[in-house]
Amino acid sequence: MVEKFKEWYVNRHAYAKQWKERTGGKVIGTFCTYVPEEILVAAKMLPVRVIGSHEPQDVTEPHIFGMFCPFCRDALAQGLKGRFQYLDGVVLAHSCIHFRQTFNSWRIHLPVEFSYYIPMPNTVQTPHARSYHKGEVEKFQAALQEYIGRPITGEDLDRGIRILNRNRRLLRQVYEYRKLDSPPLTGEEAMYMAVTSQFIDKEEHSDVLEAVLKELPGRKLPRDPGIRLMAVGSENDDAEFFKMVESVGGTVVIDEQCAGSRYFWNESVPNGDRMAAIANRYLDRPPCPVKDYPSHSRFAHVLNLAKDYRAQGAIIMQEKFCDPHEGDNPRLKKFLEENGIPTLSLEFDSTNPLGPFRIRVEAFLETIRGEELF
Amino acid sequence: MITAGIDVGAKTVKVILMEDGKIKAKAKVLSGFDQEESAKAALGQALMEAGLSREAVGSIVTTGNGRKAISYATDDVTEARAAALGAVFLYPSARTVIDVGAEESRAIKCDPSGKVLDFAVNEKCAAGSGAFTEAMARALEVPLEELGPLSLRSTQTIPMNAQCTVFAESEVVSLIHSKTQKADIARAVHDGLSSRVVAMVRRVGLDPELVLVGGVAHNPGFVESFKRTVGLDNVRTAEEPEFVSAIGAALAAGE
Amino acid sequence: MATLTKYPTEALKCWPKAKEIRQQYYKDYAEAHDRGGIRWSGGAWAFDAVPMGLGDDVHVMTGEPYAASIAYDRKFAQECQDATDARGWARDLCSYMRIYWGSMYLNRFFFGGEFPRPDFYYQTQICCSHAKWDQEAALHEKVPFYCIDVCVGPYETLTEERLNYVVKQLHDSIEGMEKTTGRKYDDEKLIAAVHNECRSTSLWAEICTLNKAIPAPLDEKTMFSLYVLATLQRSSKKIADFYEELRDEVKDRVARGIAAVPYERCRIITDTQPPWGFLKIYRYMEQFGVVSVGSLYTFGLEGIFGDQEDGSWGPRKTPQQLGIEIKNRDEALRITADWNLSRPQWQHFYDPRIKTRMMLRIVNEWKLNGVILHLNRGCEGLTVGSSENRLGLIKAGVPVMTYEGNMADEKEFDERRTVSRIESFMETLGLEQIEAARAGQAA
Repeated sequence: MVEKFKEWYVNRHAYAKQWKERTGGKVIGTFCTYVPEEILVAAKMLPVRVIGSHEPQDVTEPHIFGMFCPFCRDALAQGLKGRFQYLDGVVLAHSCIHFRQTFNSWRIHLPVEFSYYIPMPNTVQTPHARSYHKGEVEKFQAALQEYIGRPITGEDLDRGIRILNRNRRLLRQVYEYRKLDSPPLTGEEAMYMAVTSQFIDKEEHSDVLEAVLKELPGRKLPRDPGIRLMAVGSENDDAEFFKMVESVGGTVVIDEQCAGSRYFWNESVPNGDRMAAIANRYLDRPPCPVKDYPSHSRFAHVLNLAKDYRAQGAIIMQEKFCDPHEGDNPRLKKFLEENGIPTLSLEFDSTNPLGPFRIRVEAFLETIRGEELF
Repeated sequence: MITAGIDVGAKTVKVILMEDGKIKAKAKVLSGFDQEESAKAALGQALMEAGLSREAVGSIVTTGNGRKAISYATDDVTEARAAALGAVFLYPSARTVIDVGAEESRAIKCDPSGKVLDFAVNEKCAAGSGAFTEAMARALEVPLEELGPLSLRSTQTIPMNAQCTVFAESEVVSLIHSKTQKADIARAVHDGLSSRVVAMVRRVGLDPELVLVGGVAHNPGFVESFKRTVGLDNVRTAEEPEFVSAIGAALAAGE
Repeated sequence: MATLTKYPTEALKCWPKAKEIRQQYYKDYAEAHDRGGIRWSGGAWAFDAVPMGLGDDVHVMTGEPYAASIAYDRKFAQECQDATDARGWARDLCSYMRIYWGSMYLNRFFFGGEFPRPDFYYQTQICCSHAKWDQEAALHEKVPFYCIDVCVGPYETLTEERLNYVVKQLHDSIEGMEKTTGRKYDDEKLIAAVHNECRSTSLWAEICTLNKAIPAPLDEKTMFSLYVLATLQRSSKKIADFYEELRDEVKDRVARGIAAVPYERCRIITDTQPPWGFLKIYRYMEQFGVVSVGSLYTFGLEGIFGDQEDGSWGPRKTPQQLGIEIKNRDEALRITADWNLSRPQWQHFYDPRIKTRMMLRIVNEWKLNGVILHLNRGCEGLTVGSSENRLGLIKAGVPVMTYEGNMADEKEFDERRTVSRIESFMETLGLEQIEAARAGQAA
C-alpha cells in the first residue's frame, strides 16, 4: 500500500482532474500550509497545495526576481506552464514575502473564479493573535459561502474538522513506526506519504493510511537502516535527495518540514467554538520560522523530535534565499549540536544536484560513525 | 567615408571597416590583458586586409565591455545599441536580438531602424553566458569547439540540476563518474545555458522575428538547445555572429 | 528634445542643520546611559512614538540608517559583513542586518567606541528579515525584544478588528517596557510624540509633493539625506520642526524656480534603496539631463500620503489638522497604528498592484519620462514584487530600466555594467550627454 503515495505524488495533477470529474466539486489551490483547510473540506472542496516540480524552468524570470527562493519560482512555473489549469480558486494565508509573490503573480496572470488572501498573524505567540485570527477565519468562511452560494453549516464544519483530524492522527500513527530500531518505511516513503496528504482527498488518503497501518507491523525492509537522521527544513519535498541519503547508509526517521510533520502535527481541538478551534490550530502548530516570534519556540520542538525518534544527526535542508529559515539556521544548528545532535547544513536550489550533495552527506555520515566508535 | 567599428569583448576584439554601407574588411584577435593594444592590432590587421592606411578611417566607434578603454576612438556606443544596429542592418526584419557573448548575454527589443526599445542583461552570473560552456568543456576534457557537435550526438535528455557554474562543474564530474555518455552531458550543458538565456529573453518578450548574435551563436549545440527551449523550429543565426556588434559600431560611426 | 534650458540652482540652506541633527542623534544614543537615560534599538518602521512615553531621556538608534551610514565606508561595511558571515549567517540575507549584526558582534560602534547595548529592541514585523534581525540582536545582547505584528493586509482593506489586533499589541508592549525599565509610562508624552510623528511624516509627504514642480526643487540624491531624518525618529519634535523649515524653504525654491539640477529635461523616479557606495550613478545621469525626482521609496518609506481634495496625491491630513484631539493612551495608539498602516511602502508587501498604481500616479502627477528599478539583492522587503511592478509599468506605456545591485554589499553591484545599462536606457529615451553638464560637474 505504501507505494500508493508515490503513485499519487507523480500523478497528482491527473488525480485532481479526475477528482473534479468524479465529484463535480471545486478544487482550490492552497499557498503555504497555513490555509485553514477544515473550511474548504467543509465546503466539499479539494484543497491542493501548490508546490513545484524540481525541474529547471525558464518561465518565471519576468515575474519573480532571481534573488527570491527557488521554491516560490518553481511553484509559479507550474502555474505558468498550465499544470494547474483545473484550479477553481486560490487561497494564501500570509506567510513569507517570497511565496506571497507566487500567489500574487498567480492571481494577476492566471485568473481563477475565487481568490482570497488571509492576513494571518505572523507573530503567533502574541495572545491577541487568537481572537484576531478567529475573525479572519470567519471572514474567509463568509467569502467562501458567497462563492459557492450556500452556507457552510456547523455540521459541515464539524465534518471538516473530523476529516482533517483523522488524517493528522493517522499520519502521526504511521510516524510512530519510524521510532522502531528498524523503521518499516524509509524517509523517502514517509515524505511521499506526508506530502500527498496536502493534495489528495483527505478521506481517501486516510483510508490508505489505515490500510498501511495494518501492513506496517509485518513490513520488513531488506536494508540496514544505518545512521538515523532527521531532516529539518522548509517545503523540501526533495524525494531524490532522501533517496540518495538512504542509498549511502542513512535513514531519515523524522522530519521537521512543512512538506512533512509541521503540516499535520497537531489537531483542531473542538472546545465548543468551532471557528476558534480551527483558528487556534494554525496558531498552535509547529511554526514556520516566519511566524516564530518573539522567541524561537520551534527549537525545543525540533530537539524533542530528534530525541523521540532517536536521530543521530540532523540535515538542515536550506532553501536558497529563504530568509526566515536563514534567520534561524545558524542558531538552530548550534542548539542541536550543543544538545548532542551533529548537524549538516545544505543549500537547496529546487533542483537537486545529487553529486555534490552525496559527497557532503557521505562525509557527514562518516563523522557520525566515527563518533559511534568512541 | 570609411568608418571603423571595434567591439572590445571580454575574450576577443573584433574590428569592422565599412565604406558607404559596405563591409570592406574585418579582423579578430584575442583581447589579452591590454585591450587597447589588442584593439590596435586588430585594427591594423583589418586595415592591411583592406589595403588602407590609418588616416583613411574617418571615424572609429567602439563597443563591448572595453569600449571606454580605447583612447583613439571617436566615440563609443553601448553593447545593446551596437548589437541592434548590426543585426537590423544584416537582417532588416529582426525585432529581437539575442546576443550571447563570452561573459555577458543580453536580449534586445528594437524597432526597424535598430533603435533599442527594451533590453535585458543576464544576471551577474557566469551560468548565462559563454563562460559556462567553457567551464563545462574543461570539466568534460573536450575542446570548446567540439562541445557543440558532441552534444548533437546525444540520444537522451538528462537534466542539469545544478544552477550555478561551480556546482555544475562538480555535477558534470559526478555524471562522468556514473558513466553517463559525454554527448548527453554536453547536451545537458547546452540545455542549462539556453534555459538561462531564454529566461532572460522572456523578460523583453519572445518574438519569432529573432536573430542570435555573439560568439556563442557559433555553437551548434547551443543553437539546437535554444530552439528546443523556445519551441521554434527555425531560429535565425547571424552568419558571422561575433562580428554583428562591430558592424553596428561601424554603422554608428557613420551616423 | 527642444532647446536646452539651464535652470538656476542653489544649495539648500537647512542642509547643515540636517547633518547636525543626525550627528547629535548618534551621540545622544551612545551617551544616553551616562546620563541615566534609556536606549532602545529596532527598525525605522518601529512605532517609535510609543517608547517616548518612558521619558524625555529615551534615545533610539534605528538599524537601517545606522547600517546605511556604514555602507558609505566600504571597508568597515565589509568587516562587519565578514563578521556576520563568520557566524554562519547566509550571505544573501538583508545587507543592513548583516552590517548591524557585524558591528554588534565586533563590538565596534561606527561613530566611535564600543557598540552601545540597548535596553530593549522594538520592531514591527512586516518584512521576513526585520523581525529576525531584532530577534537575533536581542538574544545576542541579552535584552528583551518586543515585536509588533502588523501583517493585517493592505490599508484599503483595514477593518476595526485588524486595527485592534495591532493596538492591543502596542498596549502590551508598553507594559513590557515599563517592566523592563522600571519606569512609569507617561501618556501625555505619548500623545505629544504621536502628534509629532503625524506632523513630520505628513510634512515630508508635502515636501515630496512640491517636487511635482518643473524644474524639481529637489533631486533624489539630496532627498536621501533628508528623508533619513524620519527614519531616525519621526516622532521627535526636533525632526518635525526641521521638516517644517525644510518645507518652507522648498516652497520658496518652487516659487523662485530654483532647480536641483541645472539641465533638467528628463524626469524619472527610481525604486528601493540605492547602492549607497555608488551614488555617483545619479550624478552621471545628470550629465544626460536626467533628474530623479524621488521614488516611492524616498516618498513613502516614511512619508504618509493621502488623496487631496482635487484628487491628486499629497500629504495625508494629520489628526490635528482634522481637529481630532487625542485624549488618552488608547486613542493615541489607535491613531499611530492607523497612520502607520497607511504607509505607502507597506502596501506592496501584500499586493504589487497597489504599488504599481501608486507608481503610475507618481509618473503622471510628477510628470515623469521613465522609471529605473533597482533590483536590490540587499533588501527582500522592498524588492518584493518589483518584477510585477515592471510589467505593470510597461503595460501602461512607461519606459522602465532595471539594474541589479545591493544597497550595502558592494560585492553584488557591478558599476561598469550598471553604467552600461544606464547608457542603453538613455539611448532608448533618445538622450545624449550634455557637454555643458559634463563640464559643469568636472569643474
